Amino acid sequence: MKKFKVLIQGMHCASCASNIERSVGKVSGVKSCSVSLMTRKSLIECDDNVKEEEIKKAVARAGYQVVSIEK
Amino acid sequence: MDHQMSGHDHAQMQEPSIEEMEIRGWKKKMIWAWIFTIPIAILMLGERLLGFELFPEKVMPIIILALAFPVIFITGWQTIRGGLRGLFTFYFNMDSLIALGTLIAYFSGLLHIFFKNGDYSGVSAMIMAIFVTGKYIETKARGQATQEIKKLLELGAKKARLLQGKIEVEVDISELKIGDIMIIKPGEKIPTDGIVVRGESAVDESMISGESLPVEKGKGSAVIGATLNQDGILYVKATKIGSDTFLAHIINLVEEAQGTKIPIQKLADKVTSIFVPTILIIATLTFIAWLYLTGDINRSLGVGISVLVIACPCALGLAVPIALMVGSGMGAKRGILIRKGEAIQTMKEVRIFVFDKTGTITKGKPEVTNIHSKVKENYLLDIAASLETLSEHPIAHAIVSRANLKKYRKVTNFNIVRGKGVMGKIGSKDIVIGNRSLMTDKNIKYDDLDQKIRGFESEGKTIMIIAENKKALGIIAVADAIKEDSAQAINILNQLGYKIFMLTGDNELTARAIAFQVGIKNVIANVLPEDKAKKVEELQKYGMVAFVGDGINDAPALKQANVGIAMGSGTDIAIEAGDIVLVKGSLRGAIAALNLSKATFKKIKQNLFWAFGYNVIMIPLAMAGILNPVFAEVAMALSSISVITNANLLRRIRV
Repeated sequence: MKKFKVLIQGMHCASCASNIERSVGKVSGVKSCSVSLMTRKSLIECDDNVKEEEIKKAVARAGYQVVSIEK
Repeated sequence: MDHQMSGHDHAQMQEPSIEEMEIRGWKKKMIWAWIFTIPIAILMLGERLLGFELFPEKVMPIIILALAFPVIFITGWQTIRGGLRGLFTFYFNMDSLIALGTLIAYFSGLLHIFFKNGDYSGVSAMIMAIFVTGKYIETKARGQATQEIKKLLELGAKKARLLQGKIEVEVDISELKIGDIMIIKPGEKIPTDGIVVRGESAVDESMISGESLPVEKGKGSAVIGATLNQDGILYVKATKIGSDTFLAHIINLVEEAQGTKIPIQKLADKVTSIFVPTILIIATLTFIAWLYLTGDINRSLGVGISVLVIACPCALGLAVPIALMVGSGMGAKRGILIRKGEAIQTMKEVRIFVFDKTGTITKGKPEVTNIHSKVKENYLLDIAASLETLSEHPIAHAIVSRANLKKYRKVTNFNIVRGKGVMGKIGSKDIVIGNRSLMTDKNIKYDDLDQKIRGFESEGKTIMIIAENKKALGIIAVADAIKEDSAQAINILNQLGYKIFMLTGDNELTARAIAFQVGIKNVIANVLPEDKAKKVEELQKYGMVAFVGDGINDAPALKQANVGIAMGSGTDIAIEAGDIVLVKGSLRGAIAALNLSKATFKKIKQNLFWAFGYNVIMIPLAMAGILNPVFAEVAMALSSISVITNANLLRRIRV
């Protein structure tokens, strides 16, 4: 298990947050994803084999940009 | 690293945060949107209200279309693009509704040139301008909600002054290493966590613990990074740097708590996740129904657009997190760290408060409470402290710190009798300090003191008998002193009608004595540390339990309880335990946490009520054709702004 803390740009409404949760949640190996519209941060818990790239792609798929990923 | 001193208040170049960039972005869009929208409004109003035409009927729609174009497709481009992409990828969001609403309105204007349909192109610009304005105000207000947290983030020092040999060097905080000796002058921030090696001063720790009085620091004291040195020069050895510091832990904890969801939010989240597609369907059905019933395509179009733009998932989605943000920010400022948002909701259901004794109700370290002496009290303390200063026992520390001697007498033949006391010689005199058992071993009579001893023991105190040349001189009673505000805090809880229990590993007698002094009637004594969680579980049969204890020994009980409140003191806070962490080890903090939780939860409920209420009332009104699209958009913008403003009002309460 590992945790990612992802800073996301472009969110401006509540649906945005739930869109990202939905999209990232679909990445295989992701256990949980909670997005805070307030802090613009997303906390992702996932298996060790999940790559940063996959998370970035999932966020982009929902229409937003990853600014930075912290472990 | 050069030896040149640079200015301490050296301004740092900082990149604007995402938030600032967003606010600036919306502001720019807002200004440009209105530059084009105001002329449209004048043209439209002039035509409608005053009844005169500035331009011939044929030219007018083209002028309005031209003016509306930059509003929709330049200032609104991001919204339009994001919204349309959402429609195609099925990641619908707020933008999808606005994009659809404004585009339909704009194209109705284009069609108007060829057909005799209604022209909503002017309306489209107004909707977009109001939307952008609403977003600007909303983003700004949201920034306000996070002000306490932001202050916390900016609290850390940027520079540190180091002692290298005999030279003072200023370095960037990132260059600091563990073991470095930092010099902190009066009025300066302590750069990072450390231990004072030289100097004395008072330090203002209010920004971390909420404690308003400065704390005295001397050699050996632990200091926390980001706290403010008051009046003396301190030489501090850095013990923790970067992400290991106390401040970094607090920030991390508060940020993670922002991400946790509280149960009441689930419903709101569920609604927001299906909100946009539902509205798309409702708007389409409304349009069809109006067209079918009235045959008036212009009215039908207007009503459909109204429904699209009035619906707003924002208020719903923001209702809970915004209140949580303000609440947890207020807490952080006062040394109350809400680690799990859920605790705010659970807190209101709590009926039973369980307190750990040692370190929670009491200070957790013994203090001298009574001295009974047959000789001069000073002399008794003098010889007692001279011996005890050689021992590491907590009771010895209590006696030494009470005596507070400048000079100790020379002790020879010093001996520690494990579990009983100490012995030694001062000059030619044989000194024995210890419990009854040691006196009996050494054949020292203390019958005349016996009554006093029993008296102290019945109050739960530990006694030390001091004997000189086989003669008992007096007794020193030591007890784990009660924190100054424990009784007051428990009194408040009693008055609020909570059931209060004290849980301790101590014997019944000691436990009862302490409980009596703070006003607790229910005592569960002789509990082994590993059984505390079990006791909490038993109490949970009678209602929701909040457990207040220190995070180190009581972690399982904190976890078992419905709300675990972990107490800290100084730098020793076990951050991983507890749903709520109190930085300062005072029970008043538990009351403040209780009040803050209740107030925050009330705001959350209010916000949800307004957000749901708004949509439940306004959407049918729009469907009924009562709301004109422009007013619908104003109402929409106001709904999310009002939710944020309401949350910001939480700051008015006192906790």
